[in-house]
Amino acid sequence: MLWKWSVPFRIVEHTVDVRRELVIESPAGPVWAVVAAAERQAEWFPGMVSSRVEGAVRTVVAAGGALFQEEILAIDHSRRTFEYRITGPILVHHHLGRISVLDDEAGCRVVYEQEIDPKAMAPVLDAAVGDALEGLRDLVVHGRTSRGWESPAEASPGDGTEGNI
Amino acid sequence: MSRRILFVTTDQQRYDALGCNGGRIARTPVVDQLAAAGIRYERAIPQNVVCMPSRATMLTGQHVRNHGVWMNGVPLPHDAPSVSSLLHSAGWRTGLFGKAHFEPFLDPFLRFPESRMGRHRQTDEDGRPHRGFDHMELAGHGGAGLVHYSGWLRENHPEHLASYFPPVDRTLDVNADGGGDTGAPQVSHNPIPRDAYHTDWVVDRALAWLDGLEDCDDWFCWVSFPDPHHPWDPPASEVGRVQWRDLDLPAGYPVDRTEREALLDAKAPHWRRWYDGDLVSNYEAPAKWVPATLTADQVREVDARTHVSNELIDEALGRLLKALDRRGWDEDLDVVFTTDHGEFQGDHGLLFKGPYHVDSLMRLPLVWRPAPSRGVVPGVVDGPVGLVDLAPTFCQIAGLEVPDWMDGAPLPASSAGWASRERPAVLTEWDSRHPSGAEVHLQTITLDGMVCTRYEPGTSHSGTEGELWDLSTDPLQRVNRWDDPSCRSMRDALVNELDALLPERPSDPLRVEAPV
Repeated sequence: MLWKWSVPFRIVEHTVDVRRELVIESPAGPVWAVVAAAERQAEWFPGMVSSRVEGAVRTVVAAGGALFQEEILAIDHSRRTFEYRITGPILVHHHLGRISVLDDEAGCRVVYEQEIDPKAMAPVLDAAVGDALEGLRDLVVHGRTSRGWESPAEASPGDGTEGNI
Repeated sequence: MSRRILFVTTDQQRYDALGCNGGRIARTPVVDQLAAAGIRYERAIPQNVVCMPSRATMLTGQHVRNHGVWMNGVPLPHDAPSVSSLLHSAGWRTGLFGKAHFEPFLDPFLRFPESRMGRHRQTDEDGRPHRGFDHMELAGHGGAGLVHYSGWLRENHPEHLASYFPPVDRTLDVNADGGGDTGAPQVSHNPIPRDAYHTDWVVDRALAWLDGLEDCDDWFCWVSFPDPHHPWDPPASEVGRVQWRDLDLPAGYPVDRTEREALLDAKAPHWRRWYDGDLVSNYEAPAKWVPATLTADQVREVDARTHVSNELIDEALGRLLKALDRRGWDEDLDVVFTTDHGEFQGDHGLLFKGPYHVDSLMRLPLVWRPAPSRGVVPGVVDGPVGLVDLAPTFCQIAGLEVPDWMDGAPLPASSAGWASRERPAVLTEWDSRHPSGAEVHLQTITLDGMVCTRYEPGTSHSGTEGELWDLSTDPLQRVNRWDDPSCRSMRDALVNELDALLPERPSDPLRVEAPV
């Protein structure tokens, strides 16, 4: 099923600034099920405290206190591709995040890409995405949730705006 | 007998900031007295001219290629060796107060222990020392950030959370906004009370830790002031100490625009390209600020505020030293005072820092006041030494063998000691890769009164460029002798020595994980 709220924001001159991939020793299906459950991202993204979803809007609170608002652009079950973009509150000229879960002889290959402007964020996202793929493997293969994650029952009511990027 | 080491660093402070080095504006009687009672180094040189690589060198005693922190934003590996770990293992109490910056500041997901400790106001890493420090309380350049000082400010002076100038703008570029009387970049009115400013906070926290130590403890205390690094926003109550309108322009500032630009043209091409706003090669200066717009009055105002910050540091250090003396610790206390790198502060018509290996950024204040009980004769060492020599010096003070993984050697305590050094040359490196695509790579050797810089191919350089400065005849570094045929043999000899001394580049460089 193709679940799509809007046409992904694309400008041809944007390039992929971050690209990380990891082979996970698991069939693609269970991995994709976790990735496609947008509200579960904080369970496998280290340093992410919570990820709430309302409609097409995901609100992520980072462990440093920063808040990211995101628009979910596409959850394409046939291609096993998830796309989103950061919309604020930091000033983002352009962002597109894409997670693809591909078949692989050893299990599946997860590719996590991001386009980001301001470019200053690229190395930050690059490192975080590398951690996130490991976190995804930890969750799917070992059942371990990521550092920083607060289950909805434990989550503090803070809005995340007290922190800093 | 107990041993104690007080290691005091500032951030981005010039050699001429201190009275003992000929500074005539800021009053720095405390450091001047340390120099009079100890050893003052005329030419202390960093191994890199920005914070993270330079601080990694201070901590590890290694050259940049060996510790691997090749530019800001590259974290020092968690398991990197450090002098603090050695001291801790030898039973010393170890603390760091103020700016660490061994790990990136921009860390929204708390990937790094410094950020986690700061965010959660923890003084160690989940019950363990971090990088050998039993206790860390960290500060940055203002009220924001994932450091202990920010939490303290939020708790004690929430009304001043926004008093500091924001170091970065909403697009995460270094903030180019101007202020003050002249509109100079990163100059700002800061209404915070002096006793809540980070300079005094750093000493307050160090004193609180020291108060908890036993009289007989051996200890290593790194007091790391974030100033006088930009933003130039010392407490407003103190700004009137130095009236910018009364200041002469620095000798290094060529007043005449035509002359200034001709001097820049005589250097490697990235100098003029940055000045004209044609190149952003690194993150450490505001990308949206064009140095050619810098006015003489702006230079004066930045200069004045820097002097104010330097006075506040000296006074805070004086308060700390008095407390140590009252505790009866002074007699066996070694004090080392230095900084991580310099600041243009108007020299060459520029502010901030970057890939420019000249005295503004490379000639640093360094004073070592050995413990009076050791009876070391006060003096001045003229020959070049490096920050890479600090960690071995701390080992020597502590009576520990200098490990093989340290590249430096204990600081000489006299000119005779310097003359007998096995390796008198000092190396400085720069490597940067900016998101704009700009790459700059340079390596410098300081030896025999000459500073020789070789440029590798990059986006502004073909690899044939270089700079050769004769410090004895050209202290302002205005006559580049790189292409002077009469200096060719000297240049070749210096480059050969550079090649002989530089460690191998790591085959797998560490990743950049943040812009800063």
